[in-house]
Amino acid sequence: MTKKGWKSLCLIRRLTGLTILVLLWAAFINPQSWEPVLKLLPKLQFGQLLAGFFSGGPVRIVIPFLIIVLSALFFGRFFCGFLCPLGASMDLAVFIRSKIKRKTFAFIPDRWWRSLVPVLLLGTFWVGLTIPMGQLEPYSIIISGLFPLLPVLLIIAAWRGRAFCNSVCPTGWVLKILAKSAIFGFFLKKDTCLGCGSCRKVCPASCIDSDGLKLDRGRCLICLQCAAVCPNGSLTFGAADVLGHQAPGRRNFLRLTAAATAVGGAYLTGEEIRLSSRPLPETAPILPPGALSVAHLNAHCTLCHSCVQACPNGALEPADDADDIRLLGKPIISPYLGFCQYECVLCTQICPTGALVPLTPEVKRTSRLGTASLNLSECVVIKNHTSCGACAELCPSGAVNMVLESSELPEPFLEKEFCIGCGACQKACPVRPVAAIVVEGLYIQQTAKPAVQKKTTDSILADEFPF
Amino acid sequence: MNRRFFLKSLAAAAAAASLGRPWSPPNHALAAEDIFPDLVAVKGADVRLMYQRAMTALGGLERFVSQGQKVLIKPNMGWAMEPSTAANTSPALLTALIENSLALGASKVSVFDNTCDNWRSAYSRSGLEQAAKDAGAEVAPANQESYYQKVSLAGATSLPSASFHELYLEADVIINVPVLKHHGGARMTAALKNLMGAVWDRGAMHRNGLDTTIPELFLNKKPALNIVEAQRVMLTGGPRGRGDSKYLAAGLLLASADPVAVDAASARIIAEAGITTPAYIDHASKLGLGKSDLSQVNIQRLTV
Repeated sequence: MTKKGWKSLCLIRRLTGLTILVLLWAAFINPQSWEPVLKLLPKLQFGQLLAGFFSGGPVRIVIPFLIIVLSALFFGRFFCGFLCPLGASMDLAVFIRSKIKRKTFAFIPDRWWRSLVPVLLLGTFWVGLTIPMGQLEPYSIIISGLFPLLPVLLIIAAWRGRAFCNSVCPTGWVLKILAKSAIFGFFLKKDTCLGCGSCRKVCPASCIDSDGLKLDRGRCLICLQCAAVCPNGSLTFGAADVLGHQAPGRRNFLRLTAAATAVGGAYLTGEEIRLSSRPLPETAPILPPGALSVAHLNAHCTLCHSCVQACPNGALEPADDADDIRLLGKPIISPYLGFCQYECVLCTQICPTGALVPLTPEVKRTSRLGTASLNLSECVVIKNHTSCGACAELCPSGAVNMVLESSELPEPFLEKEFCIGCGACQKACPVRPVAAIVVEGLYIQQTAKPAVQKKTTDSILADEFPF
Repeated sequence: MNRRFFLKSLAAAAAAASLGRPWSPPNHALAAEDIFPDLVAVKGADVRLMYQRAMTALGGLERFVSQGQKVLIKPNMGWAMEPSTAANTSPALLTALIENSLALGASKVSVFDNTCDNWRSAYSRSGLEQAAKDAGAEVAPANQESYYQKVSLAGATSLPSASFHELYLEADVIINVPVLKHHGGARMTAALKNLMGAVWDRGAMHRNGLDTTIPELFLNKKPALNIVEAQRVMLTGGPRGRGDSKYLAAGLLLASADPVAVDAASARIIAEAGITTPAYIDHASKLGLGKSDLSQVNIQRLTV
């Protein structure tokens, strides 16, 4: 391919990443209008797939995970260069900075300590502590870590290129291990290379040693910029054998076998380890629909907060006070902010790791997230003798109804077997700071008695005009 | 062509002809109240036709809307429920009203509701957003406090001030188009109760008592016309409606400039199912917002 060809491909690469970034942001700003984007893009994020896989996720996560793994074994870190939205924003930062003042990168040799942070993040995640990984995984940063983390990372990127991708990012680290053994990759043609260093100067991964005529393929992000500046086509993409380099050999094979065993083992034991829990606490926060149980949510959630951002009612927030440290930062429903809309299943459909199991609206309607309890002595009907009924008005499952008791005003009556714990009654209740009807979460979600469905024939007016 | 079709066409043609009639200056020798009834009730099956008949009887929408005015139409679209559940105003009625307003030269027709369910779900599942947009109206969000402005309500005792949607405050003409339903807390919802969707103060209103706060919303700027849809009336499980809700096939459409009279008539419809007349109607009458005693109201009853 010509220099011009690489340049155009590099532009396409930049635009692909930025498009994904913009689409994601647009979709999270207006979730209901961008549903297809929300259902697709988060599920292509390798960090989420990796976490989903590590926690023993379902087939729909395992398959795309393996596809990206295989593609990395063939072509290297294609994902980091083309698809990672955080990577795209960092490339943009580098681009803008180099337009202001010319920026040249130097070669930096790889060191073992670059693996420390990523391995620590993956390890803590695997044993069930999600917070470290949740803060530093690229997709999570794009969705929920916007401030102050993203600006800081972009400023670092403007000076140091994509150093983050090669020394912090857990996703990048896994792909780096795979890319080291990739069959195809970028190589410096030793016989034609002029040693001018143009490629090194533009490499944001600092992985080209233009003096030693070597390119570290583990850290190469396939950003294509080197090929786009090389004056005589000495930087090219191909298989090692064909280009006269040593092909991945026995050592690689052993490394890959070890990695595959570790990953397979992690997959098989991940959920088990993460599900094991201490004795159940008395009360639990209200979990989002499809979370199944506190243990299940703990096992699979990566704190990307896609659900928190997408909830059309703004009902979800990260848990900031939990008995179980593993629940910190996990999405919970806060009825004072908003309630869980009866037929809405958006969060369960977009969750990229399977922490929220996809529900159909039919199943959702009887999925019990918590149980309401009514404190009649605080109710305005009883306390102030005024008509209200806000709770019954909002209750979608028929659990709260206004009935005539002793007083002449209708007062709320709760039938818990119909309650789905959506929190609509608590949100609507005018009594504050503590509502007269509040929902307690469930440690393990249940199925509520379905709302009564009874078709009756419409009655007819006795008088044509009853006035 | 059978007889029924012929009659329908005749009625439609008459209605169309009357709507198309060029506007003529009002005759000041006779006050509008003398020519036109206070309240029109139309019995029928086709809501569009019923609307046209009701408006003709009231002297046409041109009595309320004139060229270049900003019109706000406030339907009940507070619930993420399909039109078949009669939890919201029916889309066909909204369409007719918007088309009529635009045909009269309204500069802008806006539609909004401060919904109870999630606003996007409610706007779309009710079918009203699509109907309003197709008819040429502007559908505005009303889900954030920033859209509202605080206005004091002179003479109010339980709700001294309320935050109204800016479109409500800037409109030249407001048309209130509720659907008649049972309401668990307020007993009934029709014209008076529907204005709760134009303000932000739902919590305060529930806290201070619905019966007294609901009428007080009319102490600021009030709708010029109230059209209550009572085609299929939800009798139990309101206002949202449940899987076992009972309905009354009333087949009625009521229109009046008097929100109290139209609610008093609505209460009679719903009383047939044993629903007590809400106290807010009498409160409204005491505030001087209209007549709750129907014997004082000049009602025209029509069938299409």
